[in-house]
Amino acid sequence: MHRPSLKAAVSALLLLLSGAASAAAQPNTGTANFSRYVALGDSLTAGYMSNSLVRDVQLNSFPALIWRQALGTATGFEQPLVSQPGIPPLLTLRGLLPTVITPKSNTPGNPLNLNLPRPYNNLGVVGADAQDVVATVTGGFHDLVLRGQGTQLQQALALRPTFATVWVGNNDVLGAVLAGRVIDDVTLTTAARFEPAFRQIVTSLNAAGAKMAIGNIPDVASIPFVTTIPPVVVDPRTNLPVRIGGNLVPLVGVTPGQDFVLLSAAGLLGQGIGIPAALGGRGTPLPDEVVLSAAEVATIRARTAALNGIIQAAASQAGAAVMDLNTEFTEITQRGVTIGGVTYTTAFLTGGFFSYDGVHPTPFGYAFIANLFIDAINRQFGGEIPPVDLFPFMFGPEASAGFVPSTAASAQLSPLALDMLFWSLNVPKLAPAKGGEPTPPAPRVKPRPRGKGKGGGG
Amino acid sequence: MRGAFLKGLAVAALCLAAAAPGRAAGFGIFEQGTKAMGMGGAFTAQADDLSAMFHNAGGLAFVEKADWMGGITWFQGTEAEFQGAAPFPGPGARAEQELLSQPLLHLYYGRPVSAGSRWTWGLGVTNPFGLITEWKDPDQFAGRFLSTKAALRVFDFNPTLGWRVSDNFGVGFGAVARLSDVELRRNVPAINPFIQRVSDVGRLQLESDPSEGYGWNFGLLHKYNNSFSWGLSYRSKVDVDYEGEARITQVLTGTPLDPIIAARLPFGRDLPVATEIQFPDMASLGLAFALSPNIVLETDVNWTGWSSFEEVPITFTDGDLPNATIPEHWEDVYNYRAGLRWTISSSSQLRLGYIFDESPQPEEAISPLLPDADRNDFTIGWGHTGKHTWDLALMYVKFDERERDESFPEDGNDFFGTYNTEAVLVAFTLNW
Repeated sequence: MHRPSLKAAVSALLLLLSGAASAAAQPNTGTANFSRYVALGDSLTAGYMSNSLVRDVQLNSFPALIWRQALGTATGFEQPLVSQPGIPPLLTLRGLLPTVITPKSNTPGNPLNLNLPRPYNNLGVVGADAQDVVATVTGGFHDLVLRGQGTQLQQALALRPTFATVWVGNNDVLGAVLAGRVIDDVTLTTAARFEPAFRQIVTSLNAAGAKMAIGNIPDVASIPFVTTIPPVVVDPRTNLPVRIGGNLVPLVGVTPGQDFVLLSAAGLLGQGIGIPAALGGRGTPLPDEVVLSAAEVATIRARTAALNGIIQAAASQAGAAVMDLNTEFTEITQRGVTIGGVTYTTAFLTGGFFSYDGVHPTPFGYAFIANLFIDAINRQFGGEIPPVDLFPFMFGPEASAGFVPSTAASAQLSPLALDMLFWSLNVPKLAPAKGGEPTPPAPRVKPRPRGKGKGGGG
Repeated sequence: MRGAFLKGLAVAALCLAAAAPGRAAGFGIFEQGTKAMGMGGAFTAQADDLSAMFHNAGGLAFVEKADWMGGITWFQGTEAEFQGAAPFPGPGARAEQELLSQPLLHLYYGRPVSAGSRWTWGLGVTNPFGLITEWKDPDQFAGRFLSTKAALRVFDFNPTLGWRVSDNFGVGFGAVARLSDVELRRNVPAINPFIQRVSDVGRLQLESDPSEGYGWNFGLLHKYNNSFSWGLSYRSKVDVDYEGEARITQVLTGTPLDPIIAARLPFGRDLPVATEIQFPDMASLGLAFALSPNIVLETDVNWTGWSSFEEVPITFTDGDLPNATIPEHWEDVYNYRAGLRWTISSSSQLRLGYIFDESPQPEEAISPLLPDADRNDFTIGWGHTGKHTWDLALMYVKFDERERDESFPEDGNDFFGTYNTEAVLVAFTLNW
């Protein structure tokens, strides 16, 4: 009789001590209060990766990491989690040369947290633009996240937030990138349409008493979806450009030095589209939707700058921390980021920062972004929130969350086999070309399925 | 001919002397004589043994007979640990260096040019710089892509001339031929595209041949009266250009990445490589006071021009691998020394010393290649004069805990954490 009592007393004491220890260990957040933290945004806020929303990655979405660092616990930050293999099923790398990327499974995962009797803390909706945040309740991923209970903004306000991260606007420019076409207010939001929606988000949260950290819009040219495929014919077996008479061979319908060939062109190139007939291709030009012209890129960049100006002005008025992700991503694109002797770049597959869809970050990329936000929050609000420990995201299981080494059996499961050409192995030295002229890729693939909803998951 | 001769000497010398651990702040080693070491190296204004050739060449001018002096300073590391911090490598990362147990040699010969001459000459052989940083379990060490081992070995041959201008004022000039080699090891990372984890794909080892550089030194010593003397010493910069070979061996990941990596990196070949180090100049000013007929107190201030150590370029001369630069951004620093000697009897002398040694390494440049810190050193020494004259000294070196939690924006390469280091030196010198 006495022993259980003694045990209970000891347990209570230990609990008390551990509680005291955890309370003592709670980081200093300065004037920011994270007790009711809500994240508004799109797929980048949701923790989308490799064309999928899946629990293993969502648990380390950048808002979840900020919560964990600010409060010293993972408990209490609710997200619309999805079981493996995710919605849609995660993309998996099956082979490098030639590159083969397929969905992990034909059957998507299931929602795991649909019955939460309150709004999620992470309200990021895959594909949402600024207008969606204030006006859309249903359709696509909205159904999973918002569950018909109001817009992102309405649900955020219902949580009576003390702190909010707002990273909205990516899909307002990314739509034009993914579609390969610039159409005002269809694929590319005009400033006139963006500004009232964005200001409504910020002023509403500000009026509700929430302090904020706001991210701006990166340059579209920084993502591998735009930067990976060169405008010339490349032999996928050797990763080397094809030369005829010593000269590079431009893809049909592409102007080297001006046009960007989108990753979505990979499947078409595999069918010989865009490959000159002299090299065994069809000789037909790549369609406009997989090529961004220099003029289109200039338009998108100018619009990005305009929208970022609106973001900056609204953030300043609200006293929000501003995370200049445009500059950060440009820096990473140009120089990479080196940590402990390991250099991460925006190179497709081997750069480590972007996942297999060429648009969304890897778990490392999200952890890095979380640290950028934490740094901005500490600067603005005088806190000392510790940075996320990147080691597990570089070497540990967190790095590989959602990444599954391929097997021949699983590769045969997918009817949506997608071959992509592999250009960008990021190792220090490329061996000189040997042997005769490479030949173009053999057509064997089906085109990449476009994502659901606007922009395919930005 | 000169180069071949020096290389021959270098091979012999480097075989004799193991790589010397960094001792004076940075990778300088000030312990080149046991008597001076017992007084915390505060010796510029005394310089009354043959180690004057290192501490103050002006002291050589007062040598009255031919003498040999040689000894050993044994470096024993007692603690060299690293505790990581976020964002990288994180608080879970702990590591230890191999504790060094290494001898450093010093050997001097000096004599008047002729009996009764005011001119003297001598030759000193010292190792005034050196470094070994070697991490245990190198394939598990979180900093293995920065460095798993760095070793720098240096030998100075220092012929010196002394001139006793007057009975109480001497000057000295020396030439410095420096022989050195360097070894660097680290692992090579790649981001495995199949699992998006960092994988070790190679081990890179770089070894230079013994290489030489040249400089000079100068010193003056003024014994103002029986109660006061002062001295000034300067040793010039020395540039050493190293040439050698690098070799990279493959580490298999067990994924389809392996053959692709194998096709792109020059595994298993000797790759010509070059690097260079600009060793800093050093200046010392010392003031010595006789507090009583038996007690002398000296205080020195030393300046070292470590800003010369701005970066370490690694050049693959045949283009086998991309060239690299290891940024250092070191700064000029001072150290401060105080030493006391108490002549107990005609044959015995007790010595005490203290050194505050500033680190030239800015926080943002601390890395596993060479983690440095401010140091507080305490010394005690004993000297015996008789049929055989010998000196014994002990030094305790306490490195301040050194923490890095920021990086230079232009360098990045975060590797945050705290280094704790301690060491003990024991020295013995014999005169004959």
